[in-house]
Amino acid sequence: MAANTGILRRPLAPAGIWAWMTTVDHKRIGILYGVTAFFFFLLGGMEALVMRVQLASAESTLVSANTFNAMFTMHGTTMVFMVVMPAGAAFFNFLVPLMIGARDVAFPRLNAFSYWLFLFGSLFMNFSFFMNAFPDMGWFGYAPLTSNEFTISNATDYWVLGLLVMGIGTTAAGFNFVVTILNMRAPGMTLMRMPVFVWMTLIVAFLIIFAFPPLTIALAFLTFDRFFDTNFFVDIGAGSDPLLWQHLFWIFGHPEVYILILPAMGIVSDVLPTFTRKPLFGYPMVVFAGVVIAFLGFGVWAHHMFTTGLGPWANAAFSATTMAIAVPTGVKIFNWLATLYGGSIRFKTPMLFALGFISMFMLGGLSGVMHAVTAVDSQQSDTYFIVAHFHYVLFGGAIFGLTAGVYYWFPKISGKMLSESMGKLHFWLLLIGFNLTFMPMHILGVIGMPRRIYTYAEDMGFEFLNQMVSTGAFIIALAIVVFTINIVRSVRQGEPAGDNPWEAATLEWSIPSPPHHYNFAIVPTVRSQYPLWDEDANVVLPPALPAHDEPIMPDPSYWPIVLAFAITMVAGGLIIWQGHAIAGLTVIASMGLLGMRSIFGWVLEPMEDEAHVSVHH
Amino acid sequence: MARFLKSRTPILSVALMALLLAALSACASPQSTFDPQSDAADSILSIYIFVTIVASIVGFAVLVAMVWLLIKFRAKPGVPARQIHGHNKLEVAWTIAPIFVLLIIAFPTMFWIAGTAEDPAPDVIEVEAIGHQWWFEFHYPGMGPDGGDLITANELVIPVGRDIRVTLHSDDVIHSFWVPQLVGKTDMIPGRTNVLETFNAYTPGLYFGQCAEFCGVAHALMRFRVNVKTSTDFSTWVDAHNAGPAAPEPGTGAARGRIEVAAGCAVCHSISGQPGMSGRIGPDLSLFGERTTIAAGILDNTDANLRAWIGDVRSIKPIPEGGLFMPTFNDGTLDEGQIADIAAYLNSLTAE
Repeated sequence: MAANTGILRRPLAPAGIWAWMTTVDHKRIGILYGVTAFFFFLLGGMEALVMRVQLASAESTLVSANTFNAMFTMHGTTMVFMVVMPAGAAFFNFLVPLMIGARDVAFPRLNAFSYWLFLFGSLFMNFSFFMNAFPDMGWFGYAPLTSNEFTISNATDYWVLGLLVMGIGTTAAGFNFVVTILNMRAPGMTLMRMPVFVWMTLIVAFLIIFAFPPLTIALAFLTFDRFFDTNFFVDIGAGSDPLLWQHLFWIFGHPEVYILILPAMGIVSDVLPTFTRKPLFGYPMVVFAGVVIAFLGFGVWAHHMFTTGLGPWANAAFSATTMAIAVPTGVKIFNWLATLYGGSIRFKTPMLFALGFISMFMLGGLSGVMHAVTAVDSQQSDTYFIVAHFHYVLFGGAIFGLTAGVYYWFPKISGKMLSESMGKLHFWLLLIGFNLTFMPMHILGVIGMPRRIYTYAEDMGFEFLNQMVSTGAFIIALAIVVFTINIVRSVRQGEPAGDNPWEAATLEWSIPSPPHHYNFAIVPTVRSQYPLWDEDANVVLPPALPAHDEPIMPDPSYWPIVLAFAITMVAGGLIIWQGHAIAGLTVIASMGLLGMRSIFGWVLEPMEDEAHVSVHH
Repeated sequence: MARFLKSRTPILSVALMALLLAALSACASPQSTFDPQSDAADSILSIYIFVTIVASIVGFAVLVAMVWLLIKFRAKPGVPARQIHGHNKLEVAWTIAPIFVLLIIAFPTMFWIAGTAEDPAPDVIEVEAIGHQWWFEFHYPGMGPDGGDLITANELVIPVGRDIRVTLHSDDVIHSFWVPQLVGKTDMIPGRTNVLETFNAYTPGLYFGQCAEFCGVAHALMRFRVNVKTSTDFSTWVDAHNAGPAAPEPGTGAARGRIEVAAGCAVCHSISGQPGMSGRIGPDLSLFGERTTIAAGILDNTDANLRAWIGDVRSIKPIPEGGLFMPTFNDGTLDEGQIADIAAYLNSLTAE
């Protein structure tokens, strides 16, 4: 009878393109997030290479100013919203239920919905490239440069609407993971027994819930300014204020930095014990430091605005809070180092990337403390010193940490091992390329090279260092080629991984690689933080259940993808509406109706298809 | 392990090379913050160096500790890992230790911030700077003809050894005023009034400035110069500015150029002391011949560059068509001769 809630038959086949498009399995959604993030990583990387080729020589005319501006705008937007965030989401999705002994997330269809909104929002924004309207006003979208007066094309429209669409999915994912982690833990999995990665996911989910609304509000204001001639950021005489945008953007933007980095910190905190063969040093402190970072993260946003003339009191206060955030960050680094103490350290690829994370992230943290000093920031702000700093944090930090995670959990995800020798080659190439790219940028900033300039004069003395930087960028590209080959090779002919190739301690390693779609045949009872290391808390499980005994899992649904599509197309309709009112309104109305229909279909559809349930009973 | 260490050496050498280059490049660039030429830039640099030393010590210590731990506790057959879960006293210690390190750098920070709120010397020179896409306009209130504003563009002329206080505005989007060798940056925000930190230049000379906030397509080419003069030269410049230019010799190119400027350019541009030349849309052109650069600090002020710029600004800067931006003139609007005459007139506007 379930079929009457839908227009199409519910797709129940376990494989094929439809199975992936309608999946609600957290592991498949995790893989979708990961593959999509990697695709955008390559795209954002190519945008970076275009910039590096342009800047490799003074007064270069390889690309136009417009093209260069579009490259840095989309490189930033892509890497933040379409690479690091979804790469974190890939790990949350795949791992959190496995780590807490659950069979899926709390809201599987909402989870699929989040992914499709992210994908469609990203594609929507990048579609602007084919409409000759690639966003070129900076990833930070400062008013009033984003107003109709100063942006003639639809570029800013694609950017603002794309981010709005993605933001809906991200916010939904935040709630999904809070509920999952708080409510779906296996018996005995107390909060203080959770792997640190799960803790960091919980914190990130809360950060998303509190940090995304200001961004959504700012984007909604901007949308109204651009489409309906409201006046939030535009007409200063009429009482609007361009600084309002900056406050809203950075009160989102700084917690966002922790949304990007905390998953990597969680990964490293779980990789270190495995490869030192000992528990994480000071687990409660590492967890607590993460919580403190998240709280303080909401009180430092104005350090992005030290040069906007907030006045001495505001500058002093935000300088102090920014310095304060170095304390919990330092605590984490010291605890990671102390975890090495007394260990039996094995230098496998995931461990190398984790160590790369610790050292590079620390350097980024130290340069961060440097521009918490407002005097120093008045020279460094908007120069290449800042570019160097946040790449040490987000590339040396987040990307190294996430890559550690890829090498660590790829065997669990795919059932195959990645090549160790290629992994090590990848690591050393990346570490050298990364430092060659971003270390000289500190000096470029110090000698006065501003950010976001598509060209510089020969007599500025910037050329030699820029050539070093560009060389480093191509070494990074080479490292990524090695990584890609490693993955492809392993998927095709990798060695079988077995259940627990690293002899790790946490629950996800107790089940087969790749796991069954129902994860745990029997929900485990947990008695320790490292269940697989503590013999008295043995959770070894029967590897698989006979088909008729399999737990009933939520069935696929096409409503999430249809609803996500409808929402994205409403945004598309708005852009069409600017040129062709009737056509635009038609698209908006029809897609609005489709969206409404999807919501009803979703609500009325049972989690498990009746036809499917009756097979078992 | 030895192999592990060996492969680490390239990074060390890269770091060393980078340091070496820092020393070399710091002197080479005209925008280097490591070559301060005013009291403001100097005090920032001393804090900068102090903070860098503190950060470097911490960073180096942690990296050395990490490498030592990695060597000492690498996996050895028969040596199991010690199952340590934590150590309360140590953890409290390394929570408190960073607080002290941060206090050490917080003190100079707060003193510096307090210093920015201090009043300048009574003989301060007040300047108002206005950001435009993609050039800078400067007003000197009360120093112009009849007690009005003295107005100039793209080259800020100031006397040596006097406190300079710049008030910042913007006419369109957000820009940022930055002269690395003289003073840190402060944003120019439409609808708001910001005040740059007061600075006092040490020696006469030309200093490079550049817009530091992304302000649209030609952001990279929005630059300017600060021309620090001796106080006598500064007075001469102000007086010449207010007196206005002498009429060019009749029959010369400059004389013909003057007619062209009055008939066309003056719709948007102004020249002090020249009745009818008071357009306020484009940069002021008073004492143009005194300026070292054109096109907002992009090109040397040579006759050839100036003719190319007047003929087609878009061949030099990616300025959009239309709006209030400068039109193209070498499309038949003006012939080569007329453009040369205008250039000759503009460069005849000197203080002599």
